[in-house]
Amino acid sequence: MELDLKGLGKKDMLLLKEIPQEREKVIRNSSSNAINTKFVANEIAESLHPTIQYVKVADIIEEGRDAKTFVFVPDIDAGTKKLATFRPGQYISVKVEIEEGIYRRPYTLSCSPKNAYDNIYTITIKRRPRGIVSNYFLDEVKMDDKFTISAPSGNFYYEPIRDAKHIIALAGGSGITPFISMAEAILDGILDCKLTILYGARTESDLLFHKKLEEMAEKSKYIQVEYILSEEENPNYQTGFITKKLIEKYMENETSFFVCGPLSLYDAMNEVLKEFNVPNKYIRTDAFFGRMDLRGNDYYNLTILARGQEVNIPCCARETLLYAMEKNGINAPSKCHVGECGFCRSKLKSGKVKTFDGTIRTADKEYEFIHPCASFPESDVVIELPF
Amino acid sequence: MDNKYDVIVIGAGNAGLVSALELVKCGKKVLVLEKGNIPGGFATSFIRGRFEFDASLHSLCEYGTDEHPGEVYKLFEKLGIIDKISFVTIPEAFHVYAMDENVDYKLPFGILEFMEQMENIVPGSYDSLKKFFVLAEESREALAYLEENKGLVDQNYLKKNFPDFLKVSTHTVEKVFDSLKMPKRAKEILGTYWVYLGSPTSKLSFVHFASMVVSYISKGAQIPYKKSHEISMTLAEEIEKLGGEIKYFSFVKEILFKEKKVAGVLLTNGEIYEADHVISNVSPTFVYGNMIPKPMVPKEAMKLTNSRVLGAKGFSIYLGLNQSAKDLGLEDYNYIICESIDSNKEYQNKSSIKNCSSIVNVLNNAIPSCSPKGTTIMTFTSLFMGEVFSKNVTEKNYFDMKSKIAENMIDAFERTTGIVIKPYIEEIEIATPVTFARYGGHPDGAILGYKATGMDNLLPRLLTMDSENYIPNLRFCGGFDVKLSGYHATYLSGDLSARLTLRDMKGEE
Repeated sequence: MELDLKGLGKKDMLLLKEIPQEREKVIRNSSSNAINTKFVANEIAESLHPTIQYVKVADIIEEGRDAKTFVFVPDIDAGTKKLATFRPGQYISVKVEIEEGIYRRPYTLSCSPKNAYDNIYTITIKRRPRGIVSNYFLDEVKMDDKFTISAPSGNFYYEPIRDAKHIIALAGGSGITPFISMAEAILDGILDCKLTILYGARTESDLLFHKKLEEMAEKSKYIQVEYILSEEENPNYQTGFITKKLIEKYMENETSFFVCGPLSLYDAMNEVLKEFNVPNKYIRTDAFFGRMDLRGNDYYNLTILARGQEVNIPCCARETLLYAMEKNGINAPSKCHVGECGFCRSKLKSGKVKTFDGTIRTADKEYEFIHPCASFPESDVVIELPF
Repeated sequence: MDNKYDVIVIGAGNAGLVSALELVKCGKKVLVLEKGNIPGGFATSFIRGRFEFDASLHSLCEYGTDEHPGEVYKLFEKLGIIDKISFVTIPEAFHVYAMDENVDYKLPFGILEFMEQMENIVPGSYDSLKKFFVLAEESREALAYLEENKGLVDQNYLKKNFPDFLKVSTHTVEKVFDSLKMPKRAKEILGTYWVYLGSPTSKLSFVHFASMVVSYISKGAQIPYKKSHEISMTLAEEIEKLGGEIKYFSFVKEILFKEKKVAGVLLTNGEIYEADHVISNVSPTFVYGNMIPKPMVPKEAMKLTNSRVLGAKGFSIYLGLNQSAKDLGLEDYNYIICESIDSNKEYQNKSSIKNCSSIVNVLNNAIPSCSPKGTTIMTFTSLFMGEVFSKNVTEKNYFDMKSKIAENMIDAFERTTGIVIKPYIEEIEIATPVTFARYGGHPDGAILGYKATGMDNLLPRLLTMDSENYIPNLRFCGGFDVKLSGYHATYLSGDLSARLTLRDMKGEE
């Protein structure tokens, strides 16, 4: 049955036949110049999220007893002309080759995004007693050394739609770095919020950026800092730990808490903030490794499949699959090292692992994908890298 | 290592994955090369805090149900994955609000129910809607026939079986609505579906629009329980299980030719893989423009690409709220928030950086268990037309700008519906055209492919798909190809490209 279509009739039925010719006409009349492949969105994507950035060390600054700030500038000869900008609180992953090992470590940028506009990044590294990479940086790295680093990554930054205008930073030890970046950004007019930093360290000499923090607090009414020393009685500082009372002193009606430091700090602050009934939305924590109950010192056999190759290495029950690969010079992808970003996502072909899986997609769990950076072997294990 | 394959698929998006699986099932040796580290392109999910967000899927059309299977259902059945993914039907067609007038209408699925509700809202619209749906169904069938015949037309067959389709085939939505004597408000409400297709009703092909609407209203729309990532993972796993290969972190730099014939691809890391057939899930803009040596690109391919306009650019907001949907007063799944109910005006609004309209989905109202108890997952999807986003964004203002636009959209939702959500935002992520360009490699973040307008509408693309296969053995698939964009279209596009490639291979024998 045909419908009564007002104004449309037999002659319209002939139009379909002409479509190919009509389209051909449009194409024929179009330009045969080179196709435009430059688009603003793609160019910004590339400059904000380059696959890789080549940098070299332009300066090394001593920060107290056992920490140094490394200043990176683009390694133009290697192909990086400008550094990607970032949000204060984000990190870069630095690739380091030490002996047979290939390591990548995430370091929070400890400078203002304004420095990135001027092609400067800084990271600040504190010595960890058994840290292969931190010791290497503090003892071996010199001016003009070259590194490849990732684009800035991570979700530990101020988001104006979600966060309160007032941030209380709860920082422990080298966990001060994201807040240095945030404070610098406030001074540079890039970040529009108020920042109160409660900074805990063991002793005065463990405080990083002490002088800089003082200067910044001096310059802006939106920045204030309190120091708390846990292992040193010093008349200039509070003694003990960050307490409920101290937080209460600075807390406003709407305050967001940003926590960065050792695992003990997260535990302690969690308890304290619970007492204030602070909703989850106002507690931001820098990505950290959850507590894991690891037992034994057994070594297992880890088999890695990638691009048609197969490699076998030992992996201890107390080390992550990623760390075992790093030590053995296997160039596996990784970025955050705490199971958050998913960049190392690999398939568990066989074996058992203890894994920190809060950040694995539901469907990935079903198909047995794991994050090697946050997985420990519990048997011999075979994984397939995503190459 | 054996680097020789029957077919190389560039890009593991929806269409690329379907193409690959279909070819693997036909016994072909297939390699999929994907620049990212996961399959699916935008069809994936990501985690923030205690929420897992779907990156892009909020309604899969043409899936249907076991009783009323759609084209995608039949495709998944053919691919042997139907039992591996569980879907849920979304509760209502849409709830449309317009800011400039008092518009607040909720429309159900089911053609009868839809027409009855429309009659309540716009008395006297029933007859024109009834005709619309008859015509729409005929259009859907006729398009399927044309695709089946690879665009080759038997005019007499069409005349006999699809006479009304023939009458409306070259006309716009607006023109056919008028011929159906549809009341103005009914035209506007029905027309709000335009926003999924990216062109206003005055420019949009009627048959494209109508075939989509009839499928959407009659079969409903579905979403997978475990996000679109579940579909992508299922396709990827099946490909590998059947002997196909997928290599991630593999960026194809160039398509290689030997004696003017497709011979393989070269990756940015220097690896070379050989194949006589290539299917590209990457847009023709980048393939013809960047990935093929200039002398190898036929002049017609340059002209065709230059004749096309990029469609809408995507903008999405993902919210994890710390209250339940019920407590917040969010009753529906699919809110369409427009500044104007008139699609032409709305198209103009979306051509401004002040654009604050969006489609808002409340996932918990389809899948109550999708987030922890007492929380809600809400996503906003919007479009920017033309180059307005690119003209306003710079590397330096980017972070501020994306927050500002997102805030505009959230404010507009609150203002229009009277539902307050902002104080409850626990997690937020914002995707802009830059984000889509980054993950999907889409030129300028054009998530809907080329603009469906004039001679680049669905029907002209269908009717010329064979004659525009300018480089033998190089096929395209995905949202920039014949079937246009959208989840269902890209899955079906993968199927079409696989079948065309199989035919190319047969021709060689």
